[in-house]
Amino acid sequence: MLDTLRQDFFNKTTQLLIVSRELKVVDSDQNLFSIKNESDITEFHPFFYSLMSVFEEAQKEHTFFCVQVEVLGKLYFLDIKTILREDGTLVVILNDLTEHYKTVHQIKQVRNESIIGFNITQELNQELEIQRSFKNKFLANVSHEIRTPLNSIVGFLSVLENTDITREQLDILNIVKDSSKNLVTILDDLMDISKIEAGKLEIKKRRFDFKEFVEVLGKTYQLRADEKRLSFEFDMNAKLPRFLVGDHLRINQIIVNLLENALKYTHQGTIKFRVTTDSQNARRIPVTFEVTDTGIGIPKEKIDSIFDSFTQLEKRGLFGGSGLGLSIVKQLTQLLESDLEVSSVEGEGSTFSFTVYMGVSHNQKREKKEKVKKTKSKNATGKKPRILLGEDVEVNQLLMLRLFVDQGDYSIDIAKDGERVLQFLDRQAYDLVILDLTMPIMDGLDTAVQIRSHANSKISKLPIVALTARTAQEEQDAAKEAGMNAYLTKPIDAELLFETIDRLLTRYKRKDKELSSTEEEE
Amino acid sequence: MSVSKKIVLLGHFGVGKSSLLRRFVENNFSDNYVVTIGVHIMKKEVSVNTNKVTLIIWDVEGTDDFTKYRPSYLMGASSFIYVFDASRAVTYGDLKYNLSHLNDKYPQVPVHIIGNKVDLVDKDEIMTALKAQDVQHSYLSSAKTGENVEQLFNDVAAQLLKNA
Repeated sequence: MLDTLRQDFFNKTTQLLIVSRELKVVDSDQNLFSIKNESDITEFHPFFYSLMSVFEEAQKEHTFFCVQVEVLGKLYFLDIKTILREDGTLVVILNDLTEHYKTVHQIKQVRNESIIGFNITQELNQELEIQRSFKNKFLANVSHEIRTPLNSIVGFLSVLENTDITREQLDILNIVKDSSKNLVTILDDLMDISKIEAGKLEIKKRRFDFKEFVEVLGKTYQLRADEKRLSFEFDMNAKLPRFLVGDHLRINQIIVNLLENALKYTHQGTIKFRVTTDSQNARRIPVTFEVTDTGIGIPKEKIDSIFDSFTQLEKRGLFGGSGLGLSIVKQLTQLLESDLEVSSVEGEGSTFSFTVYMGVSHNQKREKKEKVKKTKSKNATGKKPRILLGEDVEVNQLLMLRLFVDQGDYSIDIAKDGERVLQFLDRQAYDLVILDLTMPIMDGLDTAVQIRSHANSKISKLPIVALTARTAQEEQDAAKEAGMNAYLTKPIDAELLFETIDRLLTRYKRKDKELSSTEEEE
Repeated sequence: MSVSKKIVLLGHFGVGKSSLLRRFVENNFSDNYVVTIGVHIMKKEVSVNTNKVTLIIWDVEGTDDFTKYRPSYLMGASSFIYVFDASRAVTYGDLKYNLSHLNDKYPQVPVHIIGNKVDLVDKDEIMTALKAQDVQHSYLSSAKTGENVEQLFNDVAAQLLKNA
């Protein structure tokens, strides 16, 4: 009985051979393969060359798992066991596990293909990341290099505007000013695109006066349309609450881009700006913004490509701009969990719309606007607040000097590098420090760190403003880390500069006062 | 003089060990990836000057951890050919580690390092990556185009004869 079973189950899958040291077949039971006695076993399959080393090994038994052997066109997977006998011959046991290993093969095929696919995707992503990071770094550097000379152009244009110039000169000056502003917008667009692509642009939700925000936009573009002799229709749904919670800066950026495009591409007819909602009594409501124009429209086949970076309808240069506007708008709407919709007929006009869900503020009361006390007041000693500027570029020094002289509320000293800033601070009392980030010997960040760790608390607690052509978020984070209180970018916006100085001086004075009274109490 | 020598192809899975072997022995190539399980053995006789060497080439199942190779597969090897995929950094990122293992366990066996699939990559980039690891490769090859395949095995055979 057992012999029959052995015959059925083992003999069909196992073959026994005895092989001599010369690799000749001494005996074989021929269960699986026909291997003649006295034949050279290596002629049956090259695997058996390895028996030469088996004879050399001290170890008596060896097992070779999953050896692929092709015989008469059929592939077998064998486990091969060898046992060295006392008489110097070798017992070779061939165990046919083809069915088992075929299953293993299928599993490993799927597994390996999936791992290789994952590896390739991962490496492609890394490659893309390197390229993207290079591009962003390049853009940041280019932006910095352009902003630096642009700073003096825009700054001195403002200075020139306030001098005694003729009407004709003023017209020319305004053209140059507009072109410079366009250049700044293009640089901002480029930086925004790279921030969005790098996933570094965050949506910041705040409560804001929505009605006022929309009305200002409506009024601004009413005037712009008037200038171009276009009709402008502005419509805001009365159901909309006054105070909403959302990222008004980004929403503003989207609408301004859409309205600017409408103005750019419309030569006659009407621009409509509509703000509506379907809902009123909810904690979050959908607000739909829609800009319609009677402009040149978009050919059907080009509608999809208008959202690509650097795409601009018609010939470049005819309408100006970087061609990045709609790409930014599209990506910003996505960041706001919305989608930009467009419908257009070539030669008749276009409609762009998007819907953003915004929170309805619990408090719908309008706060009384606090009158901002201007710190034009002199400091405790009755003198003008004294500002120290660290700036190495001569033309920027001249510009700042001119802006401060024209403004007249502060006195300013200029140091040409960080080391000199520290020397000035040791010699003279200042109320605020403005630092360019890129300076020789000691840059702005290091200087700020030195100031913050100064032994004299009057110096270490001074408000510090960064004023730089670097616009990347990382730079802003680094400035914050170094202890700077505000971050302003070039080209200098004089109004914003003095507003920031005023604000910081007010806060600094308040803190200083608190500190003095605490010290007195102690 | 005619001798037979065992050569073992090692490396991660999917680097093209079986394709190199097929290109060398049968002079053909397929783009379809078929996993090798266990070991697949082929032989080819190579002439070096007036001598002949029968190369018994063991194409062993790929793994990223060389410590997991079955000793029976590597037993009696005269030469190792360490193949990596030049288009996948993960297959050569651990070269040093795996080489050190081979050197510890089989100090007498020479190792030839081959970057396969060079038809897919920029050779300079690979050279730089290997240089950064301080690894000296023997050949950059392509089983697909046949680039350096014959030369590689002929070189190995010549070295085996020299050491014989």
